[in-house]
Amino acid sequence: QSLEPLPMGGPDFGALGEEAELVEVEPEAKQEILENKDVVVQHVHFDGLGRTKDDIIMYEIADVFKAKNLIDVMRKSHEAREKLLRLGIFRQVEVLIDTCQGDDALPNGLDVTFEVMELRRLTGSYNTMVGNNEGSMVLGLKFPNLFGRAEKVTFQFSYGTKETSYGLSFFKPQPGNFERNFSVNLYKVTGQFPWSSLRETDRGISTELNFPMWKTNHTLKWEGVWRELGCLARTASFSVREESGHSLKSSLSHAMVIDSRNSSILPRRGALLKINQELAGYTGGDVSFLKEDFEFQLNKQLLWDSVFSASVWGGMLVPIGDKPSSIADRQVFKRFYLGGPTSVRGFSMYSIGPQSEGDYLGGEAYWAGGLHLYTPLPFRPGRGGFGDLFRTHFFLNAGNLCNLNYGDGPRAHLQKLAEYIRWSYGAGIVLRLGNIARLELNYCFPMGVQSGDRICDGVQFGAGIRFL
Amino acid sequence: AAAEPWPENAELYQQLKEEQILLSDNASSLAVQAFLKMCNLPIRVVCRANAEYMSPSGKVPFIHVGNQVVSELGPIVQFVKAKGHSLSDGLDEVQKAEMKAYMELVNNMLLTAELYLQWCDDVTVEEITHPRYGSPYPWPLNRILSYQKQWEVRRKMKAIGWAGKTLEQVLEDVDQCCQALSQRLGTQPYFFNKQPTELDALVFGHLFTILTTQLITDELSEKVKNYSNLTAFCRRIEQQYFGGHDKDSSAAGAARSAKRSLLR
Repeated sequence: QSLEPLPMGGPDFGALGEEAELVEVEPEAKQEILENKDVVVQHVHFDGLGRTKDDIIMYEIADVFKAKNLIDVMRKSHEAREKLLRLGIFRQVEVLIDTCQGDDALPNGLDVTFEVMELRRLTGSYNTMVGNNEGSMVLGLKFPNLFGRAEKVTFQFSYGTKETSYGLSFFKPQPGNFERNFSVNLYKVTGQFPWSSLRETDRGISTELNFPMWKTNHTLKWEGVWRELGCLARTASFSVREESGHSLKSSLSHAMVIDSRNSSILPRRGALLKINQELAGYTGGDVSFLKEDFEFQLNKQLLWDSVFSASVWGGMLVPIGDKPSSIADRQVFKRFYLGGPTSVRGFSMYSIGPQSEGDYLGGEAYWAGGLHLYTPLPFRPGRGGFGDLFRTHFFLNAGNLCNLNYGDGPRAHLQKLAEYIRWSYGAGIVLRLGNIARLELNYCFPMGVQSGDRICDGVQFGAGIRFL
Repeated sequence: AAAEPWPENAELYQQLKEEQILLSDNASSLAVQAFLKMCNLPIRVVCRANAEYMSPSGKVPFIHVGNQVVSELGPIVQFVKAKGHSLSDGLDEVQKAEMKAYMELVNNMLLTAELYLQWCDDVTVEEITHPRYGSPYPWPLNRILSYQKQWEVRRKMKAIGWAGKTLEQVLEDVDQCCQALSQRLGTQPYFFNKQPTELDALVFGHLFTILTTQLITDELSEKVKNYSNLTAFCRRIEQQYFGGHDKDSSAAGAARSAKRSLLR
């Protein structure tokens, strides 16, 4: 999971989420008059356009012309401003609304002027990123708005605690429909996984198409990856040693996301459903499988500023066919791992399930679930300010991971996943870092521990963006 | 781990016999197999396409004994010695030094010549090495891995000064090496008279493979055939340690299959 290439495409303007607020007009004595007054937007001016092409601007501001009264004009202008910023090509956008001057001015005519400042042709960035239980320094070089229609070429180099990567990506949105976009990425990622004594280097190329459909967001992707596995230490188990070597994966995948939460880090309400499938092997390569996984989360606000949250994860990996090649006895798949401060708490990182001599091999099927109750800190210190970033939470996590024997039927598989369930409960403190990441410090009681699992009972710390 | 006796399920890993393994790796693998047979230790040969990457040193063959993994003849000889089996115990210090010297000669001359032929002779590279080396992998991975390996070997050749040599010079070196070995062997059955040592295993591995592998031309095997006592030596060891058992483990079977698939 941690070797997904760093997100390169897509708008990098921060999520509008909670921060953006609609500009509300102060109620004034004259509000009634203003609201009733019909206006016509006669001209929309743009100051500061350089290399940006006109047609993409037209799409974003088309609605402004349709405004009928002053409040509407202000609202639609604000929305247009948000849309322009979302394109990621302007450093700032300011809106001026004025009455129309000039010969053809109507008595109720308005002029709307957008004063924009385009981003430079080449921008550099340095930031630190938080992934799941890892941190990294990221250096980036970006060419925004390359050909004038919000295309973007990004080169990124990331050096982190678990992996080092670099990549080049080209992103192009559809003019007028920013959510529909496609990107092409080239990347190389090197990662180390001490829980499996495995070292992995992936070199890949992928093309991805994103598009919204009704309330859902879909992603279609083709990916070709040259994966090289090696042992991290001489003491790696033989099962891991057997997996060393090279393989080529060519896969098509589809993901669907419906997200109605108000925030992705500590949501108060809303639900998330993510379904992902990947089919490898029919477009080349020597790795063949079908992989399905899903993530579901539901949040509900209760009395006294507390939030109840339930989440379920699950997935299955099915190798396909008997490829008539001499390496059919190798299985170099991307398996599922379970356990850790961002997964089933109370267990060590990815340390549940099949293992060999202390190296965890992951599994072909898994499920995990969590129930949480988030409440404000007791006695509410620092209320209204710093204290609001912290929450206490009580949790109950459970999950199971296993390999499947494809000779048996589905009932046997379900049975296998239902026996020897690992679970844990506990409480702790959660700190929200902006809209980016979340830190947790928990006291855990792991239960249902099977021989071979590594536990972390007592205090456990976790940092990341995706928690069970 | 040293105290444990040699198990029944010890395994030796190498690349795939029919389609993939190259001359130099086949020679090294055969040398280790011969050595273990001389020590009377059972070993089962397992073929894996990724044997080279599984090996802790990146070289084949390697053995998996109990939960230990040891690669290459030198370390394997040491490992086996720690378990109480040795072929060179009967030698005195002078002979041991001599044995080491001849083993160095084989490694520096014969093995390097094999690598040169496989990776630096353009015709051989194109016709035999690239297709074989990348055969278990799909396109374009087969090409990438072959070129990567070739670049690596050529860099090593440059470092030891062999890059400038021509094929004729390399064959001359092989001839000189064979001459030295032939003189040392003389009319004895083994290099150190009555009992075989690891040197015999190493020489057998390389010479037998050279004699029985078909390449673009027969020049390499002709150099060895010039010395009749060396060919007799190979035949003798094959009959004594590899003949009469099931075809799969016989050295000739191993080399023959390599030869079969090289026919163009």
